Amino acid sequence: MSAVSRGPAPKLLVALGAVLLCAGSYWGLAKAPGEVFMGDVQRIMYVHVPTAWNAMLALTFAFVCAVFFLFTNSWKWDNRLEAAMEVGVLLSFLLCTQGAIWAKPTWGVWWDWDPRLTTTAVMVFAFGGILALRAFVDDPMKRAVWSSVACIVAFADVPIVYFSVKWWNSLHQSQSTPETVSKAFHWPLRINAFGILFLWIGLVMLRSRLAALRLQSEIAPPLPERPRRAGADTPASGSAW
Amino acid sequence: MSGVIAGGWEYVIAAYVATAVALGGYAASVFLRYRNERNRAAVEAGRDSTQ
Repeated sequence: MSAVSRGPAPKLLVALGAVLLCAGSYWGLAKAPGEVFMGDVQRIMYVHVPTAWNAMLALTFAFVCAVFFLFTNSWKWDNRLEAAMEVGVLLSFLLCTQGAIWAKPTWGVWWDWDPRLTTTAVMVFAFGGILALRAFVDDPMKRAVWSSVACIVAFADVPIVYFSVKWWNSLHQSQSTPETVSKAFHWPLRINAFGILFLWIGLVMLRSRLAALRLQSEIAPPLPERPRRAGADTPASGSAW
Repeated sequence: MSGVIAGGWEYVIAAYVATAVALGGYAASVFLRYRNERNRAAVEAGRDSTQ
């Protein structure tokens, strides 16, 4: 296994992402105008929509890692898979939380079993379940293969989440993109989208280094026996050595 | 009823606070776990070299 890299790129990406996210949020909260019907509540969009885009991107990257692992059997793809799934689940859970907070003043309820919300909940539980599965499998190779296959199966839900508002009659509005929202809302939306993008890429890089270090200690050969001092007690059981 | 939502800043603040807590908390946990794992690996490497 190759040595774990220690360059500063992940920390720089996380710092850049945090700065962009702060700037975009300030713009969205203080500078951008309120929406005609939703008023100030619409400002939740500047974090909710970038979180949604990036959650799907992170889980798509997890899918790519799973495919590459199965084709190459390279541990680096398993480390990246673990990292991308963890970040993807975090962003998806955050997405549901922000959505519930936005739903209450606009729909009158915190949650509704509408197609977009239901498929997103399935996505959170499916990928969260795979992470739980990884924690219970001791054999690194079995763990990597099973979670790659499970990730590919679970990924089928990601495009369903995206297209659910088009395919079914949904309470949720259609996809928010720069083409479907007013020009006055573009900049905070874009800045926050890039902020969360840089943040999660940096965190995935760092988290995959962490996974690589853990894997190194997991599959390291056992330490050689300590040489015994003459006259030391012999073990109660075991070989004559 | 006008159909226009008035106020609602408490929901906006709640959404931004939830975002900051989730992303900040996760980032801190990754940095701490990585630092601990790196220190543990360095200790083990030192122990191996003295064997």
